[in-house]
Amino acid sequence: MCMGVIYIGDRATGKTHLAMELANRNCKYVKVIRPEYDALKQLLYNEKEGTIKQTDGEQAIYNRDIEIQVELPAGKKQISLEWIDTPGEIWRSSWQSLMQAEWKKFLDTICQSEGIILILPPYREIIKPGHNPYDFINKQQWCNRFNRWVDFFRQDCTKIKHLVICLNKADLFCDIDREAAQLEFIPKGSRMNWEQRDAYVFQQYFKPIHSQIQQINKSGSRLAVRCFITSIKNRALLELPWIYLGSFLAK
Amino acid sequence: MGNICVIGPRGSGKTTYLAALAYWPDNRRTFGRAKNFDIKPQNPESRELADKAENILCQGLDFQATVIGQEIQTVYDLPHYSFRIDTKRYFFSKKELIQVNVRDYPGEVFEKIIEPNFSNSIHEEFIKECFTDVTGCLILLTGWEKGTDDFYKKVMNQFVHLMDTNGRGEDLRLAVAISKCERGEIWSGRIDPELDLFEVYLPKTRKILRDGVLPKNLRFYAISTFGVLGRNNPRPNRADRLTDGEPASVLREPRHWRPYNMIEPLYWLGKEGKKVKKG
Repeated sequence: MCMGVIYIGDRATGKTHLAMELANRNCKYVKVIRPEYDALKQLLYNEKEGTIKQTDGEQAIYNRDIEIQVELPAGKKQISLEWIDTPGEIWRSSWQSLMQAEWKKFLDTICQSEGIILILPPYREIIKPGHNPYDFINKQQWCNRFNRWVDFFRQDCTKIKHLVICLNKADLFCDIDREAAQLEFIPKGSRMNWEQRDAYVFQQYFKPIHSQIQQINKSGSRLAVRCFITSIKNRALLELPWIYLGSFLAK
Repeated sequence: MGNICVIGPRGSGKTTYLAALAYWPDNRRTFGRAKNFDIKPQNPESRELADKAENILCQGLDFQATVIGQEIQTVYDLPHYSFRIDTKRYFFSKKELIQVNVRDYPGEVFEKIIEPNFSNSIHEEFIKECFTDVTGCLILLTGWEKGTDDFYKKVMNQFVHLMDTNGRGEDLRLAVAISKCERGEIWSGRIDPELDLFEVYLPKTRKILRDGVLPKNLRFYAISTFGVLGRNNPRPNRADRLTDGEPASVLREPRHWRPYNMIEPLYWLGKEGKKVKKG
């Protein structure tokens, strides 16, 4: 049973691409040691079309084990990761009763893990000019979706200690190089500590769901919620959530 | 060899205190001129705690509470740290070696002393271990606000009663400390904590202890794991925040980390424990 980190999010939020990019050999402080980048790429990438293979729609839950090494100020440590794609239907009670075994497996895996990385897509209103905003759900829809996660974390994840929320595809809504320069982790001399990074990202990018995040924080379940922005186009931002989790969970 | 238990209410900074101890050896420069002490973590758990101090505390994060449940079911699941303290107190004094083995108990255990629940194995084991296997207790108290004195008094009253019923009234040493004394309101009282902190803010607790524990077995301390920003800069080296709706604090300037008086209570407990054993 998994006791590591669960990587979770709705379909098409960029989880697969994030994981694959994390395995890229061009790494700073986070290195995927198993499986190798080429094996992972072969598994996930469609060379002919130049796109990420879509997670199998037939399969409700799709998970894969990954070993990650994180270089922390006190040395290198490892964390194990299991990732789960959740189809939209998973929250419907009809799906849950129809796919009881899958739903149970999902809950069991979640309950046994120590940390969760939730990947969220950006919403329409913050997308920079030059990209099609209609490829993304609007703020209201985004908040509604997040509410389902809030209920889930409060009801079904009472044992989780660390919840990391990543607003992904940051290159579509901010200047990633400028943000990375501020937020970047440097073992012996970061500009910001974790507290400052979280406060900054929370204020800048998570405004629509401030009250919901505070609600999770206040639920008394000793769950620490941290907010990040991630992008496959910036290594420093991509690695931050893993370094944070590694600080607590790495062995 | 001194087995010591560190107890105190939830959020009194027990794990942070122990982590700072474990982190001490590599960071004497960071920690100021504390060259008369040398601490060496002696087991894998204490070495791991040193790493956590560097990865978590020095990066502006705080430890999660040690709670009963999940991976902690019995007292043997609780972290057990072992340190060797080499000390040469004065220029002409001999080098002394103190071995300290410390169990980090959850705050819940301390708070439940007044209503012991013996169906819970940790509480039962705590009482058993605390009153048989240890030479001394470091008790960290953090609250000084109105009302806390009544609560601490009740807990300490029961604790003293348990000491007597378990036959430890004569030889169990208690180092009772106000922790987090970098806080501006209490920093100035650190020099004589019994008079300026306990008598002022926790008079009932102090009285219960003074009445119930032999003077040779009781000492009051003020300690600060984070310390203040500098010798001439008494601003606390901590940043306050909310965790689970409760106030918590993190280290503000890791480069200026100078704990205050962390070793003194352990030195006294460990040294005296050794004497008792010899005697």
